[in-house]
Amino acid sequence: MTRDDQTTPMLISRRRVLAGGALAGVAAFLAACGGTKPLVTPAPTAVPPTSGPTSGPSASAAATATAAPAATPSAEVNWANWTYYIDVDDADPNKHPTLDKFTAKYGTKVNYSEVVNDNEEFFGTVQPALQGGADTGWDVITMTDWMAAKLIRLGWVEQLTLANRPNFTANLGDTYKGVNWDPTGDHHAPWQSGMTGLGFDPAKTGELDSLEAFFTADPRWTGKVDLLSEMRDAIGLTMLKLGLDPANPTRDACDKAVAELKKARDAKIVRAFKGNAYAEDLKAGNVVLAMAWSGDMVQVLTDKPGMKFVVAKEGGMLWTDNNLIPKGAAHKGTAELLIDFYYQPEIAAEVEAYVNYICPVKGAADVLMATNPDVANNPLIFPPADILAKLHIFGGLSEADETYFNQQFATVTGKG
Amino acid sequence: MGTLLKRHRWIAPVALLAPGVLWLLVFYLYPALQMFQSSFWSGTLETGFTFSWDNYTNYTKALTSYAPMYARSIMYAGAATVLTFLIAYPLAYTIAFRGGRFKNLLLFLVVAPFFTSFLLRTISWTILLSDDSPILRVIHMFPGVPPEFRLLATPIAVISGITYAFLPFMTLPVYVAVEKIDFRLVEAARDLYAGPWRPGGAIVGFIVGGGLATVLGVAFEWDFLITGLVGGVTGAAIGWFFISESFVRVTFPLSVPGVFAGSLLTFIPAIGDYVNAELLGNPDTTMIGNVIQNKFLTQNDYPAASALSFMLMAGVLVVVAVYARILGTEELSASAGRM
Repeated sequence: MTRDDQTTPMLISRRRVLAGGALAGVAAFLAACGGTKPLVTPAPTAVPPTSGPTSGPSASAAATATAAPAATPSAEVNWANWTYYIDVDDADPNKHPTLDKFTAKYGTKVNYSEVVNDNEEFFGTVQPALQGGADTGWDVITMTDWMAAKLIRLGWVEQLTLANRPNFTANLGDTYKGVNWDPTGDHHAPWQSGMTGLGFDPAKTGELDSLEAFFTADPRWTGKVDLLSEMRDAIGLTMLKLGLDPANPTRDACDKAVAELKKARDAKIVRAFKGNAYAEDLKAGNVVLAMAWSGDMVQVLTDKPGMKFVVAKEGGMLWTDNNLIPKGAAHKGTAELLIDFYYQPEIAAEVEAYVNYICPVKGAADVLMATNPDVANNPLIFPPADILAKLHIFGGLSEADETYFNQQFATVTGKG
Repeated sequence: MGTLLKRHRWIAPVALLAPGVLWLLVFYLYPALQMFQSSFWSGTLETGFTFSWDNYTNYTKALTSYAPMYARSIMYAGAATVLTFLIAYPLAYTIAFRGGRFKNLLLFLVVAPFFTSFLLRTISWTILLSDDSPILRVIHMFPGVPPEFRLLATPIAVISGITYAFLPFMTLPVYVAVEKIDFRLVEAARDLYAGPWRPGGAIVGFIVGGGLATVLGVAFEWDFLITGLVGGVTGAAIGWFFISESFVRVTFPLSVPGVFAGSLLTFIPAIGDYVNAELLGNPDTTMIGNVIQNKFLTQNDYPAASALSFMLMAGVLVVVAVYARILGTEELSASAGRM
């Protein structure tokens, strides 16, 4: 019930459109399905894989793909990702159109496995191999940033070869650049992001725009507030409330945030610390206010249009799941091509029309504006600049600090 | 082959024991030893762990820091065991003595919830007990129930969840024990003037009902004197009218082995349970299982988690040993064998 739930996107795209009900929505949906022409010209499948990716350069890649490709695409590549985290064919839930396009272009079969349910749990499965310097069997793994930071810190992540990532270099959103846990910026490629803010029922709480609400007893919501069980989100938002900077998480800041959270808990404002189960609590009316993730809230707002998601005026958190190549991956070069493939705006747009998270690829919104304006205009999926400016990424922690933070936070949630 | 077996009589029992022993060696003893070893580790995942007997402090630290969670686990598991007993005994008794041709169907219904995953069943409780559910609406219709009263995210929900989850583990052994009772013994007792057990039943009922109600009152910060009194009187009334002397002197003593087995089968897994506390509880209802899970998976603090687990195991062992001393284990294995 920890973080995983947050990054378990639900199978929503369809429902979102259908629940919209209006014909316009359906029309937009149909347009999205029919209109998303592959802008990338797939190379004829007859071309043997050995001929290399140069045979079918994408439009955006062409500008930067001057360096000779370092990799000869392998016959297969193995990707471990979370469930419902990629586009799905309307007719066949086991088919992923963008992956098929990758196969068509490079002749590589992508073994796409939805095996990640939990960062820590997955870490446990690859840790022995990585520690022993062996191939984990995975070429691409999708991990949340703090876990990515940990893997990079341990030296268990491959560097992305410059020649194999032209789209990544050109199209990575500026918000994502310069994280302190990947100083060279070439060990991780953001896949999807989400925001953390306030989810609430305005009919019960009135309009809210401040994190103060979580820490202020008020008959309208006391005892009906869920906080996130994910340490970085709960501590991060509390730091923002206290005017501290989550990008610079010191132990002192942690102590202050923990003390603040304890006060809210002892004042019985807080009902429980939840993973994504807070969304059910919100919908069922068990809570009227919660620390909430934007991806879940897309779904909640569909089911209960009266609800609201707001990034507080003090700020919100931004978390990201990243594609990484584990050390010793058997198909490193092809993995790089695969990661880079999704940095083409047209491909990213196809994924985005399906999942409800924030896209790190520049230009994807423009593509979607033509094909699926509902998605492109959804501020939870493509947040406008003024909201993006309010978002903070939790800073990297040393191992000792991470232990300290987790221990302190566990004393708040009753587990320490 | 036949002569071989005849000549070496020891082969058959050894061969029969081998799979079980091997299984336990590989999947119980080895991990348990490994856990014992890692409970004396120090270090971190990144720097690696080193073993030293000096790290016995892992145990003292675990005990001083997490005593409240241990106490809570014992309390919740104990309460759940008592509750499963109170629910399961009449159930098993009725099925055994009054089930008639519906016996098998009724037994099937007891086990039926097991056809759904444990996790799903617990999640469905979050829906049943949610603040806007029909159950809560009915409760709120009673006068005097404060508007902020809720069940979800309270100790009541956690204990009820555990009780529900382990009910069949109590029902089946008790059923087996009750079912084999020769009813003629009860008839004989009646012939020998075993009538209603009025004062005794009332006293037992008062103690049990009052105790449960008091726990409830404390948990909810109600006036537990009044709550206890109401519970006690209700219990006394039930005891006065429904408990007969033949039950106290014949049926119940003969069913004790089933109760013994059932309470162990309930208490031992319940004390390590963390799903109910996680899904139905709040930050003040966390059990030791939640702490261990958090230590292992979130904090990667394997030594502390191992020490906590090992202590839990040792603690349960002590409780079971004491319990077995009082009620005897022979009946346990006997009735377990019959299940």
